[in-house]
Amino acid sequence: MEADTTVKKKIWAFGTKEVVYAAIGAALYAVLTWAFNVWQIPGAGNVGIRPAIVIPMFFGIAFGPIVGFITGFVGNILADMLSGYGFWIWWDLGNGLIGLIPGMFSALIYRYNETKSILLGEASVVLGSAVGMAVASLSELWVSGADMKTVIFANFIPAFLTNIVWGLVLLPILMIAYAAILKRSGR
Amino acid sequence: MDHIDPRARFIFSFALLFSATATWNPNILFVIFLIAIIWYSMGRLTWKETKVGWFMISILLFTMIVVNTIITGGGAGGVVPPGGQLVWPNGFELFGKHFTFGLTVERLWFAVSQLMRILSISLAFIMIPYTMDSRAYGATFSKLGLPDGLAYTMELSFRFIPTLARNFQVTLDAQRARGFELDGRKGNILHKIRRIAPLLIPVTMNAIVSSEDIANAMDLRGFGQSKRTWLHELIFHWWDWVLIVFSVIMLATVLVLAFRFNMRLFSVPQWWYGLFSK
Amino acid sequence: MSDPAALPLVVKDLSFRYHTRTTPAIRNINLSLESGQIMLLAGSSGCGKTTLMRCINGLIPHAYQGTMTGEVLIHGKSVKGMGLSEISKNVGTLLQDPERQILGTYVLNEVCFGLESMGMPRKEMLPIAHRTLERLHILHLKDKETFFTSGGEKQKVALAGVLAMEPNILLLDEPLASLDPASAHEALLAFRELADEGLSIMIVEHRVEDVLAIKPEKVVYMDDGEITYSGDTAGLLEAVDYSRIKLPADVIARRAKGKVHPVFLPTVPQLEPESQALVSFQDVRFQYKDDTPEVLHGINLEVRAGEVIAILGHNGSGKTTMVKHALGLLKPTSGKVLLEGVDSKKSTIATAAKTIGYVFQSPTQMLFAPTVREELAYGPQNLGFAKEQVEENVDWAIETVHLEEELPTPPLALSFGQQKRVSIASVLSMRSRVLMMDEPTAGQDYWNYQSFMDTILQTPGFDAIIFITHDLDLALIYANRVVVLYGGEIVADGHPQDVLLDDEKLKKWRLLPTSLLKLNQELWPKTGQYLRAEALSQFLT
Repeated sequence: MEADTTVKKKIWAFGTKEVVYAAIGAALYAVLTWAFNVWQIPGAGNVGIRPAIVIPMFFGIAFGPIVGFITGFVGNILADMLSGYGFWIWWDLGNGLIGLIPGMFSALIYRYNETKSILLGEASVVLGSAVGMAVASLSELWVSGADMKTVIFANFIPAFLTNIVWGLVLLPILMIAYAAILKRSGR
Repeated sequence: MDHIDPRARFIFSFALLFSATATWNPNILFVIFLIAIIWYSMGRLTWKETKVGWFMISILLFTMIVVNTIITGGGAGGVVPPGGQLVWPNGFELFGKHFTFGLTVERLWFAVSQLMRILSISLAFIMIPYTMDSRAYGATFSKLGLPDGLAYTMELSFRFIPTLARNFQVTLDAQRARGFELDGRKGNILHKIRRIAPLLIPVTMNAIVSSEDIANAMDLRGFGQSKRTWLHELIFHWWDWVLIVFSVIMLATVLVLAFRFNMRLFSVPQWWYGLFSK
Repeated sequence: MSDPAALPLVVKDLSFRYHTRTTPAIRNINLSLESGQIMLLAGSSGCGKTTLMRCINGLIPHAYQGTMTGEVLIHGKSVKGMGLSEISKNVGTLLQDPERQILGTYVLNEVCFGLESMGMPRKEMLPIAHRTLERLHILHLKDKETFFTSGGEKQKVALAGVLAMEPNILLLDEPLASLDPASAHEALLAFRELADEGLSIMIVEHRVEDVLAIKPEKVVYMDDGEITYSGDTAGLLEAVDYSRIKLPADVIARRAKGKVHPVFLPTVPQLEPESQALVSFQDVRFQYKDDTPEVLHGINLEVRAGEVIAILGHNGSGKTTMVKHALGLLKPTSGKVLLEGVDSKKSTIATAAKTIGYVFQSPTQMLFAPTVREELAYGPQNLGFAKEQVEENVDWAIETVHLEEELPTPPLALSFGQQKRVSIASVLSMRSRVLMMDEPTAGQDYWNYQSFMDTILQTPGFDAIIFITHDLDLALIYANRVVVLYGGEIVADGHPQDVLLDDEKLKKWRLLPTSLLKLNQELWPKTGQYLRAEALSQFLT
């Protein structure tokens, strides 16, 4: 049975379903970040090796910009809480943007396993990570007083690269899996 | 700390964050740092509770301060002007060898300033998760003006963290029973990343499928149908007002000093030079 | 008979079709419920029970779209004009999985969730919450974190959250699914108590036998979207197909008399008492950390070829911890676990998988691959099998569970029953010598799980089968050895006939004697073995 694709998506809606997706997305992002801490490599500012970064990207693509933003923003806050890392509002915002921008693309995607959809998803990953990590890195100019060169090479580039590597590989895998469960869902 | 209203605590923490990041003036930073220490000690946190957090912050500070500022100098480049007085103008002897090292007295003082600034922020925020009741978030955000849906999101997130963590553990066990091993043996980076899929997909898809039931459970108990009230009670005491007033005064003072009296720029106190002159 | 307009619940000629489907999920449903009555709504998976409940509690049409005809009247008023919040003050719904229903981090927050949504001032909430918790005898849980309550407690907490809104109609969706027998019995008694206080209760459940214990006033049976029986209990027992829902054993045996039944022959090899143990626990003790209590207190157990073992035990008896030891996921604090003679401390989990293949309770916890074929190949590939060997195993495994045509399908798109079979096949493909299953029947209705168990036990390729369950009937039908775990210790181990003999002991272990067990005990002099109800029919006089 095919899903009804004629209904236009309302990507800015925030009803009960979206509250749940956002809350679950954030909790999931936090739990996975914490669980994958095994791979955490210190030494690149606030940048870790984090497969979990795909969660806000995917929740954005699947459920829209608000859910994507909260997944990244609140999820990052919760993840830092779980590891007792403190609170870094700009990095939280940056993570939020990593979910929000794919969310803007979600309006264009109806069938999650089509090549076109996946390419759009991948593009949103690159754009989202660029904007999100730029905002977060630039904050370091102001907060820690580093110069532009350090910000770009020590903060932005490592963060951007790790995020898109994880995102580009894992997002299509999640999108294809999601297409499969969509066939069974009702609401 | 339990007696201070979470709203007042949030306002204070943000006021401290903005104050600390508004200036590099050593005297002001020092005062803010002191305030942060006093605030932290009021939380009465034990070392056992917070050591993980401090360990992470130490790593961060080490990279930022020792690596970026002291060794490479890039971390200070945005604030400290080039040039300055070298700490070891003639180099130094170590293990019988002669080294030259471009560390300046100014950069070293900048490292101290950075330490005070980042520690102040850390002191203010590291304690929030330890001192804040997870049941209070909804009421707090709602009373700070967020719509009910958004205010409730964080509380609901807290509810499902342990459930998802357990699900993750079950999936990890299930895949290990099928021969999945955490430590990758072979393969390139792409291969290694893909190896995560057997963990990532079941946990994520399960969470999404559960969401339908969770949303039903909420709708069936009238969520979002009328303006929400909160079981968690927030009461403003006089001391909360004192804290808020103090926060406002602190931030205003710092901003006025920084921008009105030009005290936002980096400078090195004379006594610091004194330490390095022979 | 009272005036229909005043009845708490009346459903008239109700039909509904989901907008994504071409055929209606339910057709021409008519029923009514008086105050203080319990109605049992029985039927197998996909019969339309869930859809009917959604029409009554307002999720249809508020959350699910489609075409509805007919009417649902609550106290004479059509739900069509009501909003969800108005309906929720009249109709309370307990969903199947309390873990998903519970929204509060703490019990008190959970109980107050609905009241908060209604915008009730805090001062009014607290007394209601207290009253509700007292009514269910769980006031002592008030300040507990919901996540850390036990299965039975969790369900009561979820029920308290529903009752706090003071509905007069209560819908219960498979409320016994996640409970062990003793907790299920307690839950049922609680439902009876609520009905006696005047609530109208509709219980959707395929464990019919259990619900009959509280004497529902009305019984409705649904099949393929329609009501095929509506009346009292006695009539139901005669009217419905006894292979579809779980009826009392004596009824099945009586009705099955003279009918032909397929012969069931398990395919594990002959028992070899002298062979090397496949799995061996030697005085295994375990605690998670030095400062936490011991969970396993000296477990001794040997599993040999030819055995079909049922591990019985209430929730929290240590079953899962024991299983994790057998898989090498946990290592004993003291004592040894040997897999085909090799100490689990000296081998990897991957080697352990060659001895024991473990099927987790829920298939969704492990399925991930884009196709069923890749799903089945995952295990053997990890174990380092050669390519041809992997393919051979995959083909054999998929044939065994009869899903050949689904090889290119994504496992996540399959139905629950098919997923369950894929999850078994993905373990089969590793060709482990022992098959171990955790609650193999969970989430499946009676008919499905019977045929599922029959299939698995008639699957060739295993030297031994172990399953963990709290369903006594499953143990006595399928196992040739029963191990009972209670409080982290093995309290009984032997033939089902010997272990399940003493009712008092069973009760102490939180395993309730079932009608099938009783019938088997009665007929023991004639049968000399434990049998399923259909097979017992030939021994009835």
